[in-house]
Order: sequence, then C-alpha cells, then structure tokens
Amino acid sequence: MAGPADDKMIRVDMTNQTATIEDFPAEYRLLGGRALSAKILSAECDPTCDPLGPDNVLVMAPGVVSGTAAPTSGRISIGGKSPLTGGIKEANTGGQPGQHLMKLGIRVIVVKGQPSDAEARYGLEVNADGVKVVAADAHKMKRNYALCMDLHGEYPKTASFITCGPAGEMRLTGASVATTDQDNRYPARHAARGGLGAVMGSKGLKFVAVDPGRSGVRRPADRARFGELCKTYTKDYQEGPQMFQFGTSSVVPMANMLNTLVYKNRVEGQSPDVETLDGARIVESFETRGGEMHNCMTGCIVKCSNIVHDAQGEYKTSALEFETLTLLGSNCAVASWEDVADMDRLCDELGLDTIETGGAIAILMDSGGLDWGDADGMRTLLNEIDQGTDRGKAIGNGAVATGKFTGHHRVPHALGQTIPAWDPRPLKATGVTYCTSPMGADHTAGLVVNPGLSQDQYVWESQKSQIVNAVCDSSGFCQFLQPSLDDIRNFYGALYDEEVSREQIHDQGWQCLEDEWAFNKAAGLTAEDGYLSEALQKDPIAGQVFDVPMDIINQMYTKLPAQEDLFAAKASG
Amino acid sequence: MPIIQIPPPYRGPTGGASEVDVDGATLLECLQGVEAKYPGFGPLVLDAKGGLRKFATWFRNGDKLTGDVLSTPLEPGDAIDIISSVAGG
Repeated sequence: MAGPADDKMIRVDMTNQTATIEDFPAEYRLLGGRALSAKILSAECDPTCDPLGPDNVLVMAPGVVSGTAAPTSGRISIGGKSPLTGGIKEANTGGQPGQHLMKLGIRVIVVKGQPSDAEARYGLEVNADGVKVVAADAHKMKRNYALCMDLHGEYPKTASFITCGPAGEMRLTGASVATTDQDNRYPARHAARGGLGAVMGSKGLKFVAVDPGRSGVRRPADRARFGELCKTYTKDYQEGPQMFQFGTSSVVPMANMLNTLVYKNRVEGQSPDVETLDGARIVESFETRGGEMHNCMTGCIVKCSNIVHDAQGEYKTSALEFETLTLLGSNCAVASWEDVADMDRLCDELGLDTIETGGAIAILMDSGGLDWGDADGMRTLLNEIDQGTDRGKAIGNGAVATGKFTGHHRVPHALGQTIPAWDPRPLKATGVTYCTSPMGADHTAGLVVNPGLSQDQYVWESQKSQIVNAVCDSSGFCQFLQPSLDDIRNFYGALYDEEVSREQIHDQGWQCLEDEWAFNKAAGLTAEDGYLSEALQKDPIAGQVFDVPMDIINQMYTKLPAQEDLFAAKASG
Repeated sequence: MPIIQIPPPYRGPTGGASEVDVDGATLLECLQGVEAKYPGFGPLVLDAKGGLRKFATWFRNGDKLTGDVLSTPLEPGDAIDIISSVAGG
C-alpha cells in the first residue's frame, strides 16, 4: 500500500531496452496526468524533434488521486509530441492501468529512445518486484483483442495492460493507445486523439503489463478527511440526476436538436437517422441481446460505459460513445448503431481514434471514393488498414492525410486534427477552444455547449472550461464525474494534508496551458496555425459559419481574472 | 410567478437568458409561456406529440419530478431546473 511519500517514477530507454525506477520529485506531488506530462515534456523533449523519431518522449501518467479510494479517479494520461498536430499532445483514458500503477506508487512512466531494429517489438513489465523490458516479437502486428487474450495467458489475472495496435506499429498518425478495462480486461478504452499510438509504436513498445499483485489503495496523508470526502461526494453524486447513467450515446437526440449531430462530412448539422443512432436503442438492446452499463475502472460510480452485444448475444464492443456514433455514424451517413458498433470494434482492434477515422472516411465519401452510408464498404476499408493499402494508410493517417490522398477540398480540422462531433459553428465558444487549445480540435480540452453566448463571452467561457478540464485531466478524475476545481483541491488537500487554495488550483490549470503553448511555440506553431480550416469558415450549418475574429481568439492567451463561477464549474468533455 | 432555469444548451432561443419568469399553473403552461416569449424554446423540451423529451431530468425546488411531469402544479416562486447531459466520450 504505497502512500504519497513513497512515490516513484519509471524511466525506460528503448534504445538500449533498459528500465529504471527513481524517486518521484516531491515538488511535482500535486502534478499528475496532463499537467505532469506537460511539465516533463517541457523539460525533457525537444519541441522540434521528429514525433516518430528517437527524441520524442512518451509519457504515461496517472492522475494525482488515481489509486486512492476517491470515486471514478483512475484516468491515465498518455503524452508526447503529436505526429498529427506537430504540437504537444495529451490524451487520457480510463481502464485499470492508471489505478494499478498508482497502487504500486508509480506516478509516471517516461519512455525515450528507439530500438535500432525497427522491426523489433518489446513489452514493459511493471509489478511489485520492479520493472523490466522484455522481448515481444511474437506479438508483432497483433490486433488489440488477440494481443490481450494472449497477454492474459502470460500474466497474472491481476494484471492490466496498455497496448499498441497495428495502426500504432505502422506509425499511422490516427493511432491510439489502448488500455484494458476491469471486467474482461478487454482493450476497449483508448487514449485516442493525436496519434500517440504511433509514438508508442515508433518506440517498438507493443505493450505495458502492470500487475499490482496484492497492493491496496493509496493511503492519503489525512485518511479521515479523505474518507469523509469520498463518502460525501459519492452520496451527493448518487442522489443527483446521474446524467451519464446510460452513457454518452444518450446525447445523440439533443446534439441533433442543437445542429451538432453532423451529417455527410459536416455539410449539415442534423441527421435523418437520429432515431436509429440514438443511444436509447443500445440500452433497449440489453433486454434481448444482453449487454449492460458498467464501470471501466474499479471505484467508478458513474458507470457510463455500455457493453454492446450483437444480434447473437455475443460481446461486440465497449463503449459505444456519442462521438463515435457521430463521426463513424451520421457524419458518414451510416444509419444503424449496430454498424457503428462493428466499426468501433474494428477501430479498437487496430488501435485507431474513432473520431479521426470517421472524419477521414467522411472526406473519402465526400470526394466520391466511397458511397455515403456504405457500412460494408467501411468495414472493408478498415480491414485494409493493417494490410497496408494506400487507401487504408491514408484513412489511418487521419482527415488531413485523406484530404491530400483524395485531393478533396472540404477537410474540417484544426491544427491538423479533425473536428469532434461538437461543431464549432453553432457552438462558437467550443470553436474558440478548438482554435486555442494546445491540443488542437479536441472537445475534451474545453467543451462549451451554450449556443446562447454573445461574442464577448466566448473567451471567458472557453478559458474557464479549458482550465477546469486541464485540472481535471491532471487529477485522475473522469470528466463524466464532473468535478469542480473546489472538489479537486479539497481531495488534494486531504491527500497531502495541506491546504490547496483556489489561487493555487487556478494557477495549476493555467500553468498547464502555458507549458503546452510554450512547447507548441517552440515547435514552430503559431496562433494562426490553430484557426479552424476553411470548410468551417465557409460552409454553414443552420446558417452559421465559424467567424470569430483572431483579435477575439487571441484574448485566450491572457489569463483572465477568476470569476466566482470558475471554482464551481464542472468539468465537461 | 414560477421561474424556469434555462440550462446552457437551451439558451440559443432565449438569447443567453439563464432564467425566465413566466405565468402558469402547471409546468406545461409555464413551458408554453416560455415558448411564447422565446420562440424556438418549446421544441427543445417538447417532442412533436407534445410530450417531454427524454434527455432531460426535471426538478422543482430541488426535488426530482416523476410521473406526469408536465401536469405538475406550480406556485408563484417555484423554481424549475432542467438538467441535461452533454458529453462527447
């Protein structure tokens, strides 16, 4: 049972295939996840490096409260220089590895270097006895589910896994990093955005196996206060509306109403197939096919993840989320959630971001390269990716690459990353987030679903959301728990038996953004590079284009005075 | 008058207004009043058959409403909250 005073970090040198354990710097104690990743990359990664070369640094960092008894707090951040955006990137995910690393007292894994043999594959084993790099050539190009089934046989039942699918091994820039969930240890959770799977693949790292053995939860410094916080927070949540009890897929009809269930490469904001893509249909299927809502990590009280079965009652995928139903569904004019479930599984198998992949396929369709709504054609296309066809590789490299491959003009993106479901034309403050976030177009960086804002409110609403989400993504709490800055600083205070002020927590969020912006600037990216692409400036949805001027956008880079609502605002992504 | 608290996703028709005072003896009458004042609000909360859309949870003075929610009687000063989920995943 590690406690905060015993924290360690792992350094991995993939050039020589060695791994060592060091003490975790005490001054970083309140940094985890995204903020810790930004700090390490700022200090140890050359921003001008080739993202797929030996000088990039891959960071795997659980949140500050991960591994404790705090509810829904086991998120893990994957960080590095993105091969998709050319800037810094953090993508986080649930599953078990974050909890397991922290139960072992491991605050972060920092992976550097690259094997001289690009065909060699390695695994990293982490357990109570230490850490070591092992040969993994036998797992080369295995899809994620087959890989994990094999790893289940090689490691104890208590182990969880972080894996790189074939897309990552092929260094495709839409590649994700997978983690295994709690029930069946399936690789169904993904740190999806920004192509960090390609960074993992470029280092020859096929998997990380984390076995906590009999390690217990982390001991807070003030156990009584921490325990009371856990109890009160859980009770309040469970007595509240529990809006994610049926998962994010239940958002489909509301998004359609708000003109952000984008259709046919975002030329429209509403889909005629809203009823058949609605997550309610998935919940209804539980009765006849099996499947259920579940928690992807131990200690989660949100349970937003659906386990989806096929018509024969067999497991198909988990979780089928709103973003996937939109990008691989309505945006490609696919009408059936069951077809989207198939494609979600294929993306999980290959290790691909469903948002980037859906955006790319919609561009192929818009260019005439595939019929709208051709689900069978999409399945064939996805299965081509690890066969290495030119078309498959273009899709695997994302929207901008597919735009180049097809020569098509309509390529919605920001900083080289395709736009998530939430559209910046009806939701302009979210568009400000896409333009200014160091992450590029990423709704989890600061989602503002408020079409009633005036232009003078965009920057504060986006900045507030970006700060709250940056802190949340550093804490280990899931955004769907919707913790506020006050909630998070109270947990930190009890964990370390020290007071964490509002000013401190506000500063932490802002500092994270500043570290990331500085990295991007040093990488050669400008504020203008982040502006939304032409398609979003010229093609309207519901009569609206994205037209927020640069002088408004640039106000984001000044820290605004904290308004009272900052500390009660809920994380939302 | 009862007060209808408008959550951020529904503030397009209200032009950003976060709460609306409106006359009405029931929730349905109040929602019709909001629609009269801010056209376009009604379809956000009511479906084509006039029933409540399913993706919101309704509260009166902090208490969750169940059953025939639209027929809920309201008194002057009652506060109605609409809680709806927005997330990407």
